[in-house]
Amino acid sequence: MSPLARRPSRRTFLHAAAGGAAAALASSPLTRALADTPAAETEFFVFIHASGGWDVTLWADPRNEKRGIVDPATTDNTDVAPLHRWVDAPHDGDVKSFALVRPTGSNIAFGPGIGNLADMYDRLTVINGLSMNTVSHPDGTAFSATGRHLNGSRVPGSSVDTILASELGKTALFPAVSVQFPSTYAGEPGLDRRAVPLVVGQIGTISRSLVRAGQYDTDADRDAVTTLLSHEAQTLASRSTYTDVLQGVSVQYEGLRRMLGSNLQDVFTADRLRKDHPEFDYKARFAGNAAVNAAFVVEALKRDVVRCVGFSMGGFDTHNANYRFQAHVQQDLFELVAALVQKLDRTPHPSLSSAKLSDHTHILVVSDFCRTPQINMAGGRDHYPNNSALVISPRFRGNLVYGKSDVEQVLPARAGRFVDGERAVAPPDLLATFVSAFGVPPRRYMRDGEIVKELLRA
Amino acid sequence: MKRLALVAVATLATACTRPEVLPRMPSAPLAESGHTALDTTPKQDRRLVPAEAYVRTYLQLFGGLAPLEVQRRARGGDGGSLFDTWDDYLSALGFPDYRLDLPRGTQTNALMMAAFERLGVALCDRAVEHDLKSRPPPFVKDRLVFAFEPPGGAVTAAAFAPGFDVLHRTFLGYPARLGPAGREAAFFELYQQTAARHAEKGAVKSRFTPSESGWAAVCYGLVRHPEFHLY
Repeated sequence: MSPLARRPSRRTFLHAAAGGAAAALASSPLTRALADTPAAETEFFVFIHASGGWDVTLWADPRNEKRGIVDPATTDNTDVAPLHRWVDAPHDGDVKSFALVRPTGSNIAFGPGIGNLADMYDRLTVINGLSMNTVSHPDGTAFSATGRHLNGSRVPGSSVDTILASELGKTALFPAVSVQFPSTYAGEPGLDRRAVPLVVGQIGTISRSLVRAGQYDTDADRDAVTTLLSHEAQTLASRSTYTDVLQGVSVQYEGLRRMLGSNLQDVFTADRLRKDHPEFDYKARFAGNAAVNAAFVVEALKRDVVRCVGFSMGGFDTHNANYRFQAHVQQDLFELVAALVQKLDRTPHPSLSSAKLSDHTHILVVSDFCRTPQINMAGGRDHYPNNSALVISPRFRGNLVYGKSDVEQVLPARAGRFVDGERAVAPPDLLATFVSAFGVPPRRYMRDGEIVKELLRA
Repeated sequence: MKRLALVAVATLATACTRPEVLPRMPSAPLAESGHTALDTTPKQDRRLVPAEAYVRTYLQLFGGLAPLEVQRRARGGDGGSLFDTWDDYLSALGFPDYRLDLPRGTQTNALMMAAFERLGVALCDRAVEHDLKSRPPPFVKDRLVFAFEPPGGAVTAAAFAPGFDVLHRTFLGYPARLGPAGREAAFFELYQQTAARHAEKGAVKSRFTPSESGWAAVCYGLVRHPEFHLY
């Protein structure tokens, strides 16, 4: 190479100068301050856990033929009467299986467990063939919510709702509320303690912890105590080697003051939620309690007091004859999700004029794992290391199925090329993709997982 | 027979010898090989007291009663709405729930702070009723929390200090003088402001006198203190 060729050209010089200026600007305090206020703070997140492990062959990865080790759902092993989308298909003489549910225009073939949510196919992103590598409830649950397997009995990573609450919701009154959703806070560096999820068994716990008697002391008395305690925590933190916990406590005292100042205790009771949101089916056989949680989601998002809400719905662990109801449990869940989305469609966004809540609400539905392709001797299905998940988000491509399982064994099959070669998609990939959709670099908190660009809208 | 007697005599003689005496000190002091400074710095951040320990302490402060009896007394029959049922608070306090597969809460959160406040207020208000409002007042040794005679009239910092020290030892386990500088003054200010608020003309009606409200507020502050919940 000649010396002349090594001399920087004018264009190269201008590029370098522009890059230097950009770097200087990016490191300025003003830019950092602006970066601390992400634009995605107008977004809301709903996480739903189908607790117990669902049968994916009844909804996302439908199987209606006997093939390999697959025993499909049939009129022999399934109570089909309550199923809205069950249409008989030939199987074995008088025993019928089901016809695939594929609304006109849908790229997704569903099983009958999807219920009326199938009509929203253009908003659904289905991920099939999720490689779970576990058949243990606690491990599968943790893996689905955090992307990490258990370390002994300890969950080594924070759950996706905690990460998003920390990044986008620390100024919210409740950054993350979890009604039995497997939310965890593992204290990764950079994670804000305000995002420690409020984990409760039922919504009523929140209101009962916030109610205050008025015959003895006043709001001003208690507020003065809380202010003093916040100051005490700061004082102790200033004397401590490790300050994180005490500073977090101080921030939480301030959060308590805001919670008590918002008069939410009457609104967040189950009775009041049922009354204010009659569109949910509180008498649904399996999703009656979950309907209260869905009503809480709408009320909390409408009031802009929560960034992430997670809840769980049980009844999916059908090892025995209770498998007859698996499709019904699924239908109750998915029709609840459909009702939630419809309600969000009708509800205006609390801070963005002329926007609907559904335009800025992102729903992720996961389960522990799936169930065996074969029916066991007790008439049920056991645990199986495959899984599916559902995303309903304006940031995700709708009417899309990503990933697959093998035809004869319903095990995860290669879905695409990742950094470590061709392999099946796994929960860390889904979670990394989910958080990245809102500008959160997954590697900041997650050890594993790769962004799957095919899932995201351009 | 003679041989047997000999064996018996030998055995008896062995058994009667003086017991071996071990010296109390090592025969020679250990040789010093060097000095190592004892590292007393904390090795990890503070942790949340387990929920069971919190509730056990709470029951103890209530007089060592059974949980259901504490619930009955905390609720009272006066429509005070100071307490609901234990079940309403367990998950907020961080108890694991094995029926629902809810894990133990090992980190504080704002809702846990709310539950601590709810339970702390119930404890302190019932203790004020028992210790300070009962007529005749119970002996100091029979009191639940306020094991001192509250000063009458205008309370000065000097008059406040002994009562505060009793409460400080009760809830935080050490004398108030060993706490951070300014703590006693801050609590005295809290006492004064609360009492003044309740003494104002047109103040919200309370079942407590201004002085009782002041001591109740000090009690709230200590039973909800970070040092009470973290170790």
